[in-house]
Amino acid sequence: MSTNRVTHTLEEHLITRQNKAEKEFLAAFESEKPTLENAHVLVNPYLINPLCALILFKTDKPAAATLTIHGKRNDRENIVHAFPEGTSHALPVVGLYEGMVTRVTVELSTGESKTFEIQAQPLPEDVCRCRNINTSMDYFGNNFMFLTPAGKNLPTAYDYMGDIRWLLTVNTMFDIKRLKNGNIMTGSQRFCRMPYNATGLVELNLLGKIYKEYRMPGNYHHDHFEMPDGNILALTQDFSNGSTTVEDMIALLDRETGEVLRTWDYKTFLPQNVGGSGSQDAHDWFHNNALWYNPKNNTITISGRHQDAVVNFDYETSKLNWIIGDPEGWPEDMQKYFFKPVGDLSKFDWQYEQHACVVCPNGDIMCFDNGQYRSKVKEKYIRNRDNFSRGVRYRIDTDKMEIEQVWQYGKELGQTFFSPYICNVEYYDEGHYLIHSGGIGWKDGYASDALGAFLNPKKDPTTDICSKTVEQKDGVVMYYMEVDGNFYRAEKLSPYHDGVNAAFGDGKLLGHLDVTPTFDTIPDVPERNEVVDAWHQVNIEEDEDRFVFHGRFARGSLAMILLEGEKETRGYFINTAASYHLAMCSGAYLEDDDRVIKMNISKEGLSGKYAIKVLVEDAIYQTGVTIYC
Amino acid sequence: MITEVDTVAYDALDKSGPMLVEFYSKTCGPCKMLAFVLKDVAKNDPDFPIYTIDYDANQELKERCGVKGFPTLLFMKDGVEVSRLEGLKQKPAILEEIAKLKG
Repeated sequence: MSTNRVTHTLEEHLITRQNKAEKEFLAAFESEKPTLENAHVLVNPYLINPLCALILFKTDKPAAATLTIHGKRNDRENIVHAFPEGTSHALPVVGLYEGMVTRVTVELSTGESKTFEIQAQPLPEDVCRCRNINTSMDYFGNNFMFLTPAGKNLPTAYDYMGDIRWLLTVNTMFDIKRLKNGNIMTGSQRFCRMPYNATGLVELNLLGKIYKEYRMPGNYHHDHFEMPDGNILALTQDFSNGSTTVEDMIALLDRETGEVLRTWDYKTFLPQNVGGSGSQDAHDWFHNNALWYNPKNNTITISGRHQDAVVNFDYETSKLNWIIGDPEGWPEDMQKYFFKPVGDLSKFDWQYEQHACVVCPNGDIMCFDNGQYRSKVKEKYIRNRDNFSRGVRYRIDTDKMEIEQVWQYGKELGQTFFSPYICNVEYYDEGHYLIHSGGIGWKDGYASDALGAFLNPKKDPTTDICSKTVEQKDGVVMYYMEVDGNFYRAEKLSPYHDGVNAAFGDGKLLGHLDVTPTFDTIPDVPERNEVVDAWHQVNIEEDEDRFVFHGRFARGSLAMILLEGEKETRGYFINTAASYHLAMCSGAYLEDDDRVIKMNISKEGLSGKYAIKVLVEDAIYQTGVTIYC
Repeated sequence: MITEVDTVAYDALDKSGPMLVEFYSKTCGPCKMLAFVLKDVAKNDPDFPIYTIDYDANQELKERCGVKGFPTLLFMKDGVEVSRLEGLKQKPAILEEIAKLKG
């Protein structure tokens, strides 16, 4: 529905659309009962992964199916997966080649077989292509390297040759991890708050079917961790009670209901105005970008970019145990939590504005040391072009409070591997690591001073952004991939796992969003019986559980969204002041015109019919849009 | 009662007792909204003195008062700042500070 001045879209949640699509194709499957010979082949059955398919057929007698996705060059590239015996077969095909026919063979234990030729559409022109890859089938096998976006790019996975074999057409973001049941979990694509808060987390299979969206009152950002009992630790913040800080809280989510079981607020055990990195401000004082639960000692380790600190605390009591980081600028009574460097100090460096802390099996701590500013003291800040980023591993002795740097990769590469934001490391085995420098940005041939999220090579040819992912084994680089664009994290995953690769059943929307805070005072200005001016480009995107208001407003103007119901009117203040972000770990929600704001209003707490109106400066205008809650 | 003052008028004020001083900018959306909130506050207590000062036009005064941005609310008693609120605030938060000031 649209007027010439206001656009209103009402779209069902992706889970609802996927549920409908699944019901439809399963109904056709049960009704037609196709055999292998005339099997149903559905490309992109869940609407968001154009490089997958589902093959559905029935057999009279129980049979086990083996699926072979043929490589486009040779048989060594074939991806083969065996499925359990049954009479009703639903075989997911993960890893079609884009824009061409992929041959897929199904062989049954009964001896029957059929080869399908499945055509996938070309991908959008602006997908992030692999620029350079150097590895081998012997090393990388049939795994894919999954990259999660740090901007408007899309979650994408590449095979050993750099071909894109998996892609979601929705902008899920931040961390991506495989769960114990084989599904993956990543951040939802649904905007909630600037700069990059999503409604929550989604659990999905590699076809793109979302089983659960875990909505969080404080939203989700950066990272999550599956606990031994299956519950989820997720990074969040508290927007209620007038809290003015962000990215300083963990929520434990019930895996079944999505409800928040408990939270940890770092303000209870860390001072907020000390140890600041170059990007710190009072609002985003810690900037938590990673967490790791260690069942061996029941502790949580977190990474705080804006205090240059990796912090460990007790799961039960929140008691602070230790801090890895440059102790300069921290008060005397906090020094006991810091470590003293030992070993070869000529090779030792502290980490600065780090990401992605990892606890190794022996208790060593790894992280991606972005190195932004590389000092606590403003006068000593290092410019990006003179800086370096690296993966680093520290060995800590918590009795002696000593720390030794036992490995690093990246310092020797200088600015060519420098990422001032995002990135991660992975521990595979002793001496076998992934190092992902996903936030590389260039300006005039040097490492850019601005974050990659603010660079646009399409508009400014003096800039470039890219992402470099490395795997090192016993000191040898076994994998190197450079792709277009910045990517938050890299995670190597196989396209199939030992569990159920394509379970059916309705996806669920769990947990809840918060009640969007209102502004009590509604200015006493006249209401006009006219639609808000087209210059404001008002666009209202309505979803099942919220709507997102988009509009352009002159800097410094007075603006407010009004929901006029039968019993009440709610006002939501729109801040039209210029905002400058020191961190922008995902630029997915950034607008080209920074006068355009978007504001999420949850339907939580709303009931009935509301007319949406807009207050601009000295009058209230109509939008013509009514929502039902 | 809300009164707009400049530096000269501010310096000449009788500052005995409690009062609220707001630094605002004409180019600031939150300041424009705060103006309506303060009107609301003034309705509650018409005798409580509220002074508004243009941040951009009174640079020396804002420096003297240690004000670094707008809007900023200074809650004062006998000419001495007792507390301050920075940024747009809702009516209850302002009333709470006024109550403390008077209490």
